Amino acid sequence: MEEKIINRENLNKLCRDIIDGGNILIAPGKTEYTVIKDTSEIILDAGSKPTKASYKNYAFPKAEPVIYYKKDKNDIELIDIDIKGKKTVILGAKPCDSNSFDILSKVFNWDYKDDFFNMRVKNFIVIGMMCEFADKYCFCTSVGLSPVSEKGSDIFLIPLDENNFAVRIITDKGKEFMESYGKYLTEGNPEKAKAKTEAGKSSAKMPEKVFNSEEVRKWLGKNFEHPFWDGIGDVCLSCAQCAFVCPVCHCFDIVDEDYSYEEGRRMKNWDGCQFGHFTLHASGHNPRDIQGKRYRQRINHKFKYYVDKFGEILCTGCGRCSRGCPVSIDIKEIVSDTVKN
Amino acid sequence: MDELRNHVKEMLANGTVAAVIGYKEAGSPMRTKPVIITAPEEAILLVFNEYCLNNLAVYLTKARVKNLARVNGTIKKLGIVAKPCDVHAVIALIQESQLKREDVYIISFNCNGVVKDYGETLTGETIASKCLHCDARQPLYHDKVFGELKDLPASPDEELAKIKSFDDMTSQERFEYFKNEFDKCIKCYACRAACPMCYCTQCITDKTIPRWVESSAHGRGNFSWNLIRAFHLSARCVGCGECERACPMDIPLSLINRKMLEVAKNDFAYLSGRNLETPTLVGSFDVKDKEEFIL
Ligand code: SF4
Ligand code: SF4
Ligand code: SF4
Ligand code: SF4
Ligand code: SF4
Repeated sequence: MEEKIINRENLNKLCRDIIDGGNILIAPGKTEYTVIKDTSEIILDAGSKPTKASYKNYAFPKAEPVIYYKKDKNDIELIDIDIKGKKTVILGAKPCDSNSFDILSKVFNWDYKDDFFNMRVKNFIVIGMMCEFADKYCFCTSVGLSPVSEKGSDIFLIPLDENNFAVRIITDKGKEFMESYGKYLTEGNPEKAKAKTEAGKSSAKMPEKVFNSEEVRKWLGKNFEHPFWDGIGDVCLSCAQCAFVCPVCHCFDIVDEDYSYEEGRRMKNWDGCQFGHFTLHASGHNPRDIQGKRYRQRINHKFKYYVDKFGEILCTGCGRCSRGCPVSIDIKEIVSDTVKN
Repeated sequence: MDELRNHVKEMLANGTVAAVIGYKEAGSPMRTKPVIITAPEEAILLVFNEYCLNNLAVYLTKARVKNLARVNGTIKKLGIVAKPCDVHAVIALIQESQLKREDVYIISFNCNGVVKDYGETLTGETIASKCLHCDARQPLYHDKVFGELKDLPASPDEELAKIKSFDDMTSQERFEYFKNEFDKCIKCYACRAACPMCYCTQCITDKTIPRWVESSAHGRGNFSWNLIRAFHLSARCVGCGECERACPMDIPLSLINRKMLEVAKNDFAYLSGRNLETPTLVGSFDVKDKEEFIL
């Protein structure tokens, strides 16, 4: 692993080069990760709150066409979408975001290989950054991550002081990417960077580990029927705020959209398991007919099924779903409470 | 707080109400969440303060909550802790025949405002914008009321200034403004879920045969969704601001709702949920109704 130093001015130049080179640069804004048009828009602050929405839409868009079609009397012509994808650089991803594509890749490459997702991810460079924020909703440390986790990052930044960042090259992809920007880097000081991450681990900003995910998985396996779920379900409003802002929720719905009698396209749109009609069958039967059953699905999918199938927890502990829940349902509290029942 | 808890405890114990929908603390004294209680000893959980942001009337139309009121073949009352502005939603639901007045027991407060967001101290800057133009800080209807009125922190009504500024824009400019806002929509439907007046068991956007509103969260799909919601809520919306607060994408939904409220108020002298004796505006007809807005 190589380590260098970059100052803010050079980082700005590097960003300008990325944009001028015709690539997409994304950085955290207030509500969401936004496409940066001018480097003055970049706010790189390790102490900032996670954006309200994650950046998954850049690899898994909220609505995307997967095929176009034309119909005439006897025939349907299918027109494939030319999936090219542009080099996309994410600057300042938090550790609870940077790992999201690795987690998502498991499901998008399990039986069917999702070219749309894969093509975009292949073009991604994730520049992660050590996090110096924590509130009561954060719990990355309970799901195997931490504010200094480099998982999922190709390059990892550690703020050394006001003006300088340590640049850790994590992957080959990151190394290759940085090659053309060597002129902006100076010799690293691994001791200083290490001291910084070590200090981060023992600081008050390190979220306390509140549950043991393996105990939770076992509890879930034994308590499918439990009154615990009803109590949560009666308060939960069945929206998809929690699923749609989540970096790793990935349900989608396939719908056809006609433009006219002759033409249309097939769309892949975000969907959410908390919607009442998500599991509604054509017969009228709904196996998850009440919200308690749907909320149970949310927790089981994240902390049991995905772990059983793919060996990963389907949650990075970012706390977004809880921060934004209109009725203040706190997933960290709920998952911690499971095993106490 | 003790008054509230004691009262609820008594009402549950003597069987006046079968359940009470109220607020409890959520992890910090500066955040609350809804709680539905049925046992007198749970009354101790209840709180009422400037962090009681939810409009709990949203629960009154939920099947499982309504079922709580069915005790041994009779229908009992459901208790609800409601800010005076939330009482408007309860009344609007009664006006729209979703509820009977005698089936709900309204516990309200003389209200001193709420914050925009949890965790902030109530000041002129942090006060919710709806409180700045509140027309009923004392509940218009209640079965029990607590609290004393105090002065609200003062602040200019920027929301009103903003909607006035729309009147000066060209329709193209207005279109551009809302296009940019609606583009952010992810169709999570949290606005609908949090809204006490969005109680349809099947929302028009969920209908697939035929599909009236495209489910895709692209420009056109978002425009149809947000506009259809605005239409369906016009002169029905009580202005509680819950949709905007629930929106994860920070779309200023209150601007639309406030504009609709202003039109209903100025052109038809109507405000939703203020009077049990009047029919709803969209449900009634008067030959004197203005029609200059019809294109
Ligand atoms: S947990 Fe919160 S955000 Fe998720 S569906 Fe329920 S009310 Fe909506
Ligand atoms: S479930 Fe919640 S805390 Fe976990 S990754 Fe998703 S949004 Fe973050
Ligand atoms: S709008 Fe009025 S009644 Fe509602 S919270 Fe604000 S001050 Fe209270
Ligand atoms: S539309 Fe919004 S402001 Fe109006 S009643 Fe519904 S949630 Fe409240
Ligand atoms: S809450 Fe906001 S993002 Fe979600 S559907 Fe409503 S307007 Fe769109």
